Amino acid sequence: MAFALHAPRVNNNDDIVQVIAFRVGVGDFVKQGDIVLDVETDKAIVEVAAENDGYVLKLMCEVDDKVAVGAILLWQGESADEAVPETPVAAPAAGGGNARPTAKARALLKELGLDAGAVAASGDRLTLADVEAYIAAHGIQRRDHTPAVTVSTQESLPDVPGQLVDLNAEERGMLITVSWHRDHAAATYLEVEYDPKAWEDHAAAYAAENKLMLSPLLPLLAYRYVQLVKASPRLNATVVNGKRFQYQPVNLGFTVQAGETLYLTVVRDADTLDTKQFIENLGEVQRHAIQRKLSREETSGATIAFSSMARWNVSRHIPILPPYCSLMIAHAAPKGSGRAVLGASYDHRVLSGFDVARLLMELAKPPL
Amino acid sequence: MNLDRDAIKAAVRAKVIELAKNLGMDASDIGDDDLIPATGYVDSAAILELVVWYEDAYQMPLKQEEINIDNLGSINSMADFVIKRKG
Repeated sequence: MAFALHAPRVNNNDDIVQVIAFRVGVGDFVKQGDIVLDVETDKAIVEVAAENDGYVLKLMCEVDDKVAVGAILLWQGESADEAVPETPVAAPAAGGGNARPTAKARALLKELGLDAGAVAASGDRLTLADVEAYIAAHGIQRRDHTPAVTVSTQESLPDVPGQLVDLNAEERGMLITVSWHRDHAAATYLEVEYDPKAWEDHAAAYAAENKLMLSPLLPLLAYRYVQLVKASPRLNATVVNGKRFQYQPVNLGFTVQAGETLYLTVVRDADTLDTKQFIENLGEVQRHAIQRKLSREETSGATIAFSSMARWNVSRHIPILPPYCSLMIAHAAPKGSGRAVLGASYDHRVLSGFDVARLLMELAKPPL
Repeated sequence: MNLDRDAIKAAVRAKVIELAKNLGMDASDIGDDDLIPATGYVDSAAILELVVWYEDAYQMPLKQEEINIDNLGSINSMADFVIKRKG
């Protein structure tokens, strides 16, 4: 069986080495420890030794090529006529796999366990877009669905005097959310009206039984929502690289207004919690939001989301879908109207109107 | 931090009135034993703010299960709970 010799890491800061000379050719037999080629970095020239005995089957790069650390330099085999495995890690072409990756590209390569040499660069550097194009072309699924959402920075300035001011962290987060909603989701909206009395009675009974300080109406609605999604996993999905990505956990995003800031807090693995645990966990993240002490876990990874603007007495609001979230329920309950509204923004690439209408109608009724 | 019972009650009352005012309500007539969530002056989000303020003002982190009517339901009970925990 053929085995590969990979480009070594010479310095911690150098992800690329340049091949200076080959000391062997195809068909040569080399022993473990024999020097087979020389590579150079910005700081040193290093001899690369064979790691195993064997015949040189194929050279995967040429002299003067710049090769990513970890890329395959050559193939060896136990006999001179062994076949070389087909591999995406090929000799780097001009503008291709020998380009130095940017920091973001490197992070994604690391996340995916990919070798930079496997990915062709579109320019002098291997960019995030290059890697994303590669994984899309090869149907590779990212392990972490943290969105690689980009925001245009190429807009021209308005023809009016003014100055650019950096956004704060929350504003940047909102910009990313809005950008994903605009550029990726096929977002649409529908709503149902319902009589809120049954839910109000249910929440009042629960609050009295458990001596709760805060009305559990919204937490109970949200928990019911989680349970319905758990029963219909199709609702708990998104689209990545042209494929449906079915989430395993149900992570509920729940909006919390803390002063001027709107947070999407997240109760992770909500589908594994009972009612009491869910209400407590949600209460905890809400308090953290007010205290502005949310952890990363509490602000990321929502697979579905819920938002209520009943507090502000609005009759309708149409939420923006958070990145990689295909469904966000919008609750409103205009005071004195005797009616309430459950709406939903949803990604039509993932869900149909029927899916969402059925969910809303079920959600409008408290559990028996 | 003033742990005098009347001072705590006054501080809690002032906070409830402030939160109610943000919602366009006048809670100045709230009674010491009135059940705060039942007064209609403050909604759940405002009560959450009240709880977070209370934890911070009296340096008293609360467990989720402590946030209930018995401990925090009224101005009097909020004052008593501080004294019980800090006393």
